[in-house]
Amino acid sequence: MQGLYQLLDKNAIYIVMIIVLIVWAGIFLYLYNLDKRIRTVEKEMNGDKNAK
Amino acid sequence: MSSKAYALYKKDLNSELRTRYAVNSLVMFIIVAISVILFSIGNEKITQSLTSGLFWVVIFFSAMSGLSRAFVAEEERGTSLTLHLIASPSTVFSGKLIFNLILVFCMNTIVAVLFSILFEAFIIRNFALFAVAFVFGNIGLAVASTIIAAIISKAGAKGTLYPVLSFPILLPLILTCVQLTLLSNQGADFEAAKFELAIVFCYDVIMLTGSYMLFDFVWKD
Amino acid sequence: MVWKIFLFVLLAFVSIAGIAFPIVPVPHAWYEFPLIPGLKENAKIIFFHVPTAWLSAVAFMMNTIYSIKYLRKKNLDDDAKSYAAAQLGIIFCVLATVTGAVWAKFAWGSFWSWDPRQTSIFALLLIYGAWFALRSSIESEEKRATLSSVYAIIAFLTVPFFVFIMPRIMSGLHPGSADDTNAGPVINFKMNGNMQLIFFLSLIGFTILYFWMWSIGYRSLILKDKINKQSIKE
Repeated sequence: MQGLYQLLDKNAIYIVMIIVLIVWAGIFLYLYNLDKRIRTVEKEMNGDKNAK
Repeated sequence: MSSKAYALYKKDLNSELRTRYAVNSLVMFIIVAISVILFSIGNEKITQSLTSGLFWVVIFFSAMSGLSRAFVAEEERGTSLTLHLIASPSTVFSGKLIFNLILVFCMNTIVAVLFSILFEAFIIRNFALFAVAFVFGNIGLAVASTIIAAIISKAGAKGTLYPVLSFPILLPLILTCVQLTLLSNQGADFEAAKFELAIVFCYDVIMLTGSYMLFDFVWKD
Repeated sequence: MVWKIFLFVLLAFVSIAGIAFPIVPVPHAWYEFPLIPGLKENAKIIFFHVPTAWLSAVAFMMNTIYSIKYLRKKNLDDDAKSYAAAQLGIIFCVLATVTGAVWAKFAWGSFWSWDPRQTSIFALLLIYGAWFALRSSIESEEKRATLSSVYAIIAFLTVPFFVFIMPRIMSGLHPGSADDTNAGPVINFKMNGNMQLIFFLSLIGFTILYFWMWSIGYRSLILKDKINKQSIKE
């Protein structure tokens, strides 16, 4: 743990890398949820219209 | 078909000669634009590349001020429905294209003459090269602006949208023509300019085929 | 589902590799990039900037394909598809312009220098802008779809000039320009094997991402159309 902290402290580029990864994970999750939501709405539209 | 297209062109020419709207506004526009440039230059010496750039700037904006008339006037007068009945789309397009070609040639000849009189740096050293570039450039300008004018007249937004839509389409043509004008002013021979000439020629052919194919969709809606 | 996980892993790997892999004078290990004189760490932009420019061209192509489809079949769903493609296209076009300009300030000394490729991306931006301006000026749905399709096709006829011909014949700063002594395809430009591999992985990843975003975009547009039509009927 101490070694990892020192590595990150010395090479700031790895911090940038981790931040970019977190941002990418956030965007990915957002897109994934959006896709799922649209699919449910599509099913609602095409399937039984009186279900509402 | 060609006789009908010619008749359409005659009709446009006659209505133009009656009002002289397009011609008058074009000539005034050219004079205004060139005098503004001359005022802003003052006593400065400007380079050849700048002059050939300005040459095409004036041509582009005067084309944008006058060439949309052909189609917009039909929509304004409400005569486009009649045209639908009497002629096929390609005939209508040919008629309008001939009219715009003549307009562009007259206009650009005036601009070229005025430029060679008024600008010291604008001396055509290789006249044949300039003439070829001029002819091909004018054809490309007329074809592209005619099809865009058709789109504009159907879109119902007349004035401001026309240069906005035309500029990206005309950009390759204008950039190459600026280069060609510069070369002819420097007195380069055809060998040095063959690549640019090929581009302008290809542009003309592509635009001509493209607009004849697409005009049907614009006209029939 | 599988391809989504694949996409996540691929782009995560590309960001790790593109940011953190070291640049050394003589690369030995598979994770080392060669030193390019004059660019140094700046060279890593290729993994993130080039895909955005590539996507703005891909989006333009998709826009044209669905415009042609619309003109043939007159199906408004195709118009929604071309609209969604153009929306993403203008986003990636702006991203490519901005990332390129920021990078150019530090690599070439100024934000904008009218390099042929900068001119091309600017022209592409203008075309997208004009396309959206044309669409916003027309009320009727069918008319809007037809006219914007025609304009997209006409604009597409001039794009090959900007993207393929002009950057190659005019002298410029980008790799692959006419005065570049290493002239040839941009990709061969002083990259070693693993740099090229990661570059292509990045292109593939971004392309998959584009198609995913595009499908979300056009599906939502089609849904909106459907709901509008239903509410008119009722």
